[in-house]
Amino acid sequence: MDVPSKTMPTEAPDTATGPDDFDLVARSQAGDTAAFNELVTRYRTRAFSMIYNMVRNEQDAWDLAQDGFVKAWKNIGRFRGQSSFYTWLYRILMNVTIDSLRRKQIQSGTEFDDQIGLRNIAPGAMTAPKEELQPAEKISDGEIRTRIDAAIAKLSPEHRAAIVMREIDGLEYSEIAEQMDCSIGTVMSRLFYARKKLQALLKDVYETI
Amino acid sequence: MKPFEEQFTAWVDGKLTGAELAEFEKQLAEHPEAAAEKGDAQRLGQFLRSHPTTPKLTNPDFFNHQLMQRIAAETPRIAEKTGHSFWSLPRLLWAGAFSMVIAFALFRTTIPTVAPVVSDSKYFAQVVEAWPSDPSISATTVYSAENNVTVVWLDGLDYIPATYALN
Repeated sequence: MDVPSKTMPTEAPDTATGPDDFDLVARSQAGDTAAFNELVTRYRTRAFSMIYNMVRNEQDAWDLAQDGFVKAWKNIGRFRGQSSFYTWLYRILMNVTIDSLRRKQIQSGTEFDDQIGLRNIAPGAMTAPKEELQPAEKISDGEIRTRIDAAIAKLSPEHRAAIVMREIDGLEYSEIAEQMDCSIGTVMSRLFYARKKLQALLKDVYETI
Repeated sequence: MKPFEEQFTAWVDGKLTGAELAEFEKQLAEHPEAAAEKGDAQRLGQFLRSHPTTPKLTNPDFFNHQLMQRIAAETPRIAEKTGHSFWSLPRLLWAGAFSMVIAFALFRTTIPTVAPVVSDSKYFAQVVEAWPSDPSISATTVYSAENNVTVVWLDGLDYIPATYALN
């Protein structure tokens, strides 16, 4: 897609003080690891956060961010500048993360079915909290984090990616579709089921804080 | 027509407009709880956005250090290029060609050329077993394949008696 993204970050906040991303990419393409190191410094925090939101584990997020940047380095010659560097990197990081989640899913024998428990819900029906309600003051930040982690962990890799990109990273449907290499309709469908499941799992939390 | 899931998602996110929105809202007349469901989905989104759970990247410099080590290990030849070595490939080629020219010039100027021994004979041999009356006399033979002839050459012989002449 040649149209610049409205929501995907196109420039790092600190690029005003140094060479722009395209200069650094060009130098990286010539084999300059120092230039690539600068790109890593610019995007490491964002990359780590994005992956953490998917895997909900610090060590895994660290390792996958490393894998993603190594993959980006190996493929830097293929970057043609049709999008921002971060848009290109984001897709690599997302693919690395989804592949990892799929591998874990296969290894553990876990089968995600985001429609489990939703088949009997009539369209538009109210979701019911599964867990016992707790008074707002008793829910600490740590517990909220644990509940969000646990709820997102119950989504399939594809549904996790859709909800993280839409709700947390704020991407448009078309951008999510491009990142996930699927149709916009598929993105909307994934969002529907992911939201339903998260509503069922988290309603008691977000309705009481 | 889009499936319900897609239309509902677009409705929640405010992406339905015009006739599409009117038609969908007509469908939802049968589902009065849909408005509450929409609000619920929107609250979920606000909740997720307002509770960033991402921990800080600890030790970011070590992150770069570890990454650069991996890159150097996995792509050693590319990593070596980063030193901007003087000996790039074109320079190496030019240096090689120049060295060959110098070597050839030295060879031509310093190694004397020796004129080849002109001999039409393929066989030149000294006769070892000869019994001359005078020890200063030696015999050699030369064979010319072109003329199909063998010449016996005697050094030190003053003369040959006429009766010894070869025919």
